[in-house]
Amino acid sequence: MKKKYIIGAFLVLLGIIISFPLFSMTYYTMVRTSTPEFCASCHEIKPAVRAWRASTHANNAAGVVVDCMDCHLPAPQNTFEFLFAKTYHGVKDVAVHFIAREYDRKKARTAAYAAFENSECQKCHRNLLYMPQSRGAMRAHRTVLYARPGYELKCVDCHYDLVHNDKASVMFRQYREVPYQAKGLKPEKLGS
Amino acid sequence: MRRPSFLPAFGLLLVGLLLYGGFSAVNAQQPNFPVVKEYRIERSVPPQAVACIECHRATTPGVFADWAKSRHASANITCLDCHLVQSGEEDIAQGHEKYYGRSDLPYGESQYKVPIASIVTPKDCSRCHPDEVTQYSRSKHANTLEIIWKIDPWLNKGMNSANERKTGCFNCHGTVIKIDAKGGIDPATWPNAGVGRLNADGSKGSCTSCHTRHRFSIAEARMPEACDQCHLGPDHPQIEIYNESKHGTMYHAYKEEYNFKAAPGTWTAGVDYRAPTCAVCHMSGSGKVMGTHDVTERLSWETQAPLTVRPQDFKPFPAKTDWQVEREKMKNVCRQCHSDAWINDFYNGFDNAVTEYNDVYFKPAKATLDELYEKGLLSKEKFFDEHLEVEYYELWHHEGRRARMGAMMMAPDYAWWHGFYECKLRFNKFMEGAGHLVKTGEKAYIYPNFPNATGSTQRPEKIFGPQQ
Repeated sequence: MKKKYIIGAFLVLLGIIISFPLFSMTYYTMVRTSTPEFCASCHEIKPAVRAWRASTHANNAAGVVVDCMDCHLPAPQNTFEFLFAKTYHGVKDVAVHFIAREYDRKKARTAAYAAFENSECQKCHRNLLYMPQSRGAMRAHRTVLYARPGYELKCVDCHYDLVHNDKASVMFRQYREVPYQAKGLKPEKLGS
Repeated sequence: MRRPSFLPAFGLLLVGLLLYGGFSAVNAQQPNFPVVKEYRIERSVPPQAVACIECHRATTPGVFADWAKSRHASANITCLDCHLVQSGEEDIAQGHEKYYGRSDLPYGESQYKVPIASIVTPKDCSRCHPDEVTQYSRSKHANTLEIIWKIDPWLNKGMNSANERKTGCFNCHGTVIKIDAKGGIDPATWPNAGVGRLNADGSKGSCTSCHTRHRFSIAEARMPEACDQCHLGPDHPQIEIYNESKHGTMYHAYKEEYNFKAAPGTWTAGVDYRAPTCAVCHMSGSGKVMGTHDVTERLSWETQAPLTVRPQDFKPFPAKTDWQVEREKMKNVCRQCHSDAWINDFYNGFDNAVTEYNDVYFKPAKATLDELYEKGLLSKEKFFDEHLEVEYYELWHHEGRRARMGAMMMAPDYAWWHGFYECKLRFNKFMEGAGHLVKTGEKAYIYPNFPNATGSTQRPEKIFGPQQ
């Protein structure tokens, strides 16, 4: 009986000894590879990070900074989806880095827009239906959140070129010259 | 003694009459005394928008008053919500910026300066009305420039002048908006509210064709008068056809009772209107059929095409619809007031008219025209410069359309006297002329001085890509 306990305790201890560094290393890796700085360590992504640093998603009066993965990956609390998407993209990006000849930024941008889920934006932008200063947005957001079948839209169909457009200077949300408004449907959506 | 007593009385009467006349003239003018539409900005809008409103109510009171009466104004949607553009965009109205430096204008101060565009496009409207714009962008309305450049001989053979096109064709079909080197809009392309206007931002069309600025009224677009600015005349007399039909007759008799202002999705047959307007059948929701801004959607024949085809087979712009599904939708609209027997019998007549036009009139005429070209009796170089080409053109483009559309929208005079009757005469004349050429081997007379055939034959690059 006693021997059995000792073996059991030993196995648990062994498990902890092995898994603790494994988990913390995974965690450490996750944290380290989730920063914009890490994303910018690939030359392909550098221009996107540079543009983001100058955008209102990094510069606003509230001091909120929205990192790459806040928009481009599922929420970390959805552990499985998050880990899967992150690992998949990590492996794919490294592979493509070596296989593909040239990085087509325009093509990558189209693919990114296509992969975007509204839920990624709605992690932060949750109160979209009541904006007394912007009645038009209230109307448009209703047609997106309660879309008629066949008329489903993505946030990025109207809010595009918002972050990764190359700017000459840093853009602060609170110093916008003119009030922000969505650009209207993307040309692709208008059949042109 | 009598005479002198008459004179002053007569004089008094005369003065009285003159005075009365004068007063009544003043009275007639009374309703015109100037009352400026009031607008107190009581709900918060950006200071730049306050500047727009205050300045434009003084400088363009008509535009201001129109907007002030609109649903947009009720919803606190101001000038800025539609006209604002981000700095650096191509279509910024450069000339507008100088007004912010004018001290004689209210709010003419640089602190209110914002970049704006003169032309508001469907893309701008899509910021708040995305579904309507998505539907519209699929329609033949939005793509009409592409369609006419694919099939129209006036354009492709350069048979009319640039100005004839601007004041004629493009007024309804739309221009290709061009921004010149100085950032102004090319006056050859603007002003324009054509349904297929190609805008600087790449979007197609103009919502203000039917919802005229700055009222943007749903009621207006529900009236046949919104459509008849373009859909009239010898080649597509839809409004004349409608007016002749029972639908049109009832509309004119009862329109005072119509409730044109019903909320979207609530406009109801028998309740809000007695007989349909153009919008009822082609656009508005009805029963279980959803409303649409794609006017092509509910069609089952292309009655404007040379050879009548199903919308999905219309080569210049194939619709992404199935005509059987669409006909069922249209029948559902009919069912609000008509029985199935009535509807099916009506469609029977329409389908027969289409088949007869295709087989009896158009196909033989087309085959003969092709034969004349093949034998070199007609010259392929230009169109309209030989009499038989005009005859052929009018057969399908004028009376052929009138016959088909007249049959479709139930106007007997257009189906027969302006339609098939004239088709017969035209067909005989065309065949007689063609037969003469074939028999004698004589080449057709070519009009040597075709007037004003100076228009460009270059297809617009923005639609068709770079051309040689």
